Amino acid sequence: MLLKKYLSPLSALIVSSVLLLSAPPVSAQNLGNGQQLFQTLCARCHGMLGEGSEGPSLTRPNLVHAPDDAALVSLIVGGIPGTGMPGSRQLRGQDGPDVAAYVRSLGKLPSEEMPGDAIVGAQVYRSIGNCSSCHILNGEGFGIGPELSNVGQRRTAAYLRRSVTSPEADQPRLVDRFRGSLQAFLTVRIVSELGTYEGMRINEDAFTVQMRDMAGEIYSFEKSDLISYEKLEGHSLMPGYNSVLNEKQIDDVVSYLMSLK
Amino acid sequence: MKLSALSKTNLFCAFFLSCLGSCPVLADTPFEALLADEVNGADWLSYSGGYKSQRFSPLSQINTVNVGQLKVMWAYQMQPTGISGAALQETTPLVAGDVMYITESPSSVTALDTSTGRVLWHFVPDITNDVLNIGFPRINRGVALLDDKVYVATLDARLFALDARTGAVRWETTVADNSVGFSLTLAPLALDGKIVVGVSGAEAGVRGYIDAYDSETGERLWRTFTVPSPGEPGSETWQGDDWQTGGGSTWLTGSYDPELDLLYWTTGNPAPDWNGDLRPGDNLFTCAVLALDPDTGVMKWFFQYTPHDTHDWDANQIPVLVDGEFEGQQRKLLALANRNAFYYLLDRETGEYLLGEEYSFQTWSEGIDDNGRPIVISNTEPMREGNLVWPSLQGATNWFSPSYNPQTGQFFVPNRRMGAIYFKSDVEYEPGMPFLGGGEQPLDGDDASGAILALDVMTGEQQWEFELQTPPWSGVMATAGGLVFGASNEGNFFALDAEDGDPLWFFNSGAHIRTNPMGFSVDGHQRVAIIGGQTLFVFGLE
Repeated sequence: MLLKKYLSPLSALIVSSVLLLSAPPVSAQNLGNGQQLFQTLCARCHGMLGEGSEGPSLTRPNLVHAPDDAALVSLIVGGIPGTGMPGSRQLRGQDGPDVAAYVRSLGKLPSEEMPGDAIVGAQVYRSIGNCSSCHILNGEGFGIGPELSNVGQRRTAAYLRRSVTSPEADQPRLVDRFRGSLQAFLTVRIVSELGTYEGMRINEDAFTVQMRDMAGEIYSFEKSDLISYEKLEGHSLMPGYNSVLNEKQIDDVVSYLMSLK
Repeated sequence: MKLSALSKTNLFCAFFLSCLGSCPVLADTPFEALLADEVNGADWLSYSGGYKSQRFSPLSQINTVNVGQLKVMWAYQMQPTGISGAALQETTPLVAGDVMYITESPSSVTALDTSTGRVLWHFVPDITNDVLNIGFPRINRGVALLDDKVYVATLDARLFALDARTGAVRWETTVADNSVGFSLTLAPLALDGKIVVGVSGAEAGVRGYIDAYDSETGERLWRTFTVPSPGEPGSETWQGDDWQTGGGSTWLTGSYDPELDLLYWTTGNPAPDWNGDLRPGDNLFTCAVLALDPDTGVMKWFFQYTPHDTHDWDANQIPVLVDGEFEGQQRKLLALANRNAFYYLLDRETGEYLLGEEYSFQTWSEGIDDNGRPIVISNTEPMREGNLVWPSLQGATNWFSPSYNPQTGQFFVPNRRMGAIYFKSDVEYEPGMPFLGGGEQPLDGDDASGAILALDVMTGEQQWEFELQTPPWSGVMATAGGLVFGASNEGNFFALDAEDGDPLWFFNSGAHIRTNPMGFSVDGHQRVAIIGGQTLFVFGLE
């Protein structure tokens, strides 16, 4: 469906991009190289056509972290610490600018169509969805899950739909400059002599682990004191909303979330 | 030969006793003191704590019983130089008498009072921001000491001799041309009257070499290339002009056996890194260890760990010299835990291959054959569409140091457990530009992990492991107190019980750690040191 719109011939994409991009001129060869590198290095998170997935859609004219081309090259090579965006430090010479040029060309593609009604979705979010019991949005709500104030910048509609219906289906990452790509919302179950604790891992080293439970309480443990420590891979603390919301309500909530930029 | 006639113990006593009581704040470092570095726990006079590179502290005041009481005695904050991208600190501090010498990235040197941490002098070479560092960060791993001088190799490929008392420049010389991608990041190795250095730059397609310089004058005494020119031994493993851009950099400090009078130096990857089609053959003497005559640089033997490497598995790990009984025979050995995930033992007199055991998960080799050659699994080289292989290009270990406890026969290895998707691409050589032919996408973070391993030095068999959250970038140091000190990306500096790997003490330095622990003493009180982030911490009991 929507993807088919993106499947225009590469040549047409290149021609239109070359016409639209500002100086310096980008050759078809540069864009071809950029596209090839993009598909091997970037597509896993941003989609084969930059349509987005865990990583944001790049089919937009303005990229939040890349106000200019130099910044775009810099973040492609170096990543964005504290987000899910790793660097591709193996890109050398012209490769970084070529990927950047290809990413810029994606901004000329049509933006994603929303499946529902964002205004209705806002009501669903506040009422039957009760989403603010776990998420902070524009300063309101309870902070257990991720803040959603600008989630529309970071995700796509398809991704958010999956998050609402099957929250465990995706396990977003955060890039730490020195530790690599870490799971952002890993569920952990900890058993100590004082009891059993389940919640989201906040931080961890070889000796200690910090977590936040569903009541929002933060705990810090020394691993040597624990009876057991389990990482529940592929699990989410968020319940699936298939049984709570109908299809239309889900579409509306997704559209609302996508409007948050 | 001349040195074997001298008892190391006597040397140690003479040196050590001369420092008791009224030790001068600034002590010279004669060659004889370097020979005794291994057994002299009060000082740490060379990068790996002695010519055997065992990174073992013979001090036992801090031990398994009291290590829990360690506390910070002082700390020192590194001084920014204004050179961008020089935020990683990988130096091993050296200590001579009451003075500690460290380097600060990219190539500064600081002398500190070991009892207080106060700065005695600070040297900043005139490096400019446009210095090339192709394939590695803007770092430095430490100085060398000899007589009254301190030697530092710089990112822009120069070698400086500094006055140990003031930091003033005695001489400087250009080792290599930075504009084509040569750099120096290693701690030089001081021998008798000479300073040995190696070069970085295989990612720029340099042709690697090892140099020795007269310690007094800076005159170059010899240069040994690691990639042969046509007609030289090993040239049959190259085709056409490939050798001219063949890599084989020499970026980590070597070891020395004064009795055999042999210098051991390791070599890095062939260039370009990931596209082996562009350099058919075994590509000698890359990914190897070389045994050199320290007076002439002439190669006595070599052993290539990874022939025709296509994964960037430099053999630039510390060659640890070990003496002991191997399969019933007393041997002089060279132990090396290689980036390619195998642990090797060689006879260091002859270069004979003795042992090659897998010490970390890997998917590229079925093992090592009787001649020491890996049995490569097909289709494990980088591919244009990507190819997942363990270990990653950073290897199952890397430059950070292992440690050997000669009292227990244990070999400790910081271990990286990470795979990577390897890519191959086309590349043409251009001076001063990356010459890679591909790259990797690592499976890092929560897809990876790390460990400190204890191996039986004679068999490579694992005795225990202590798991780390992520693949480490820090070395280890064993001590006669039954401890193994190590560190993590998460910023922990810790002590393990050498017997079973149990953690006995840890400290959160507050930032990533990517250097090696070292030990010394101040007025008879044992100290251990590590750098976390930009801060050097010195620990002690009292």
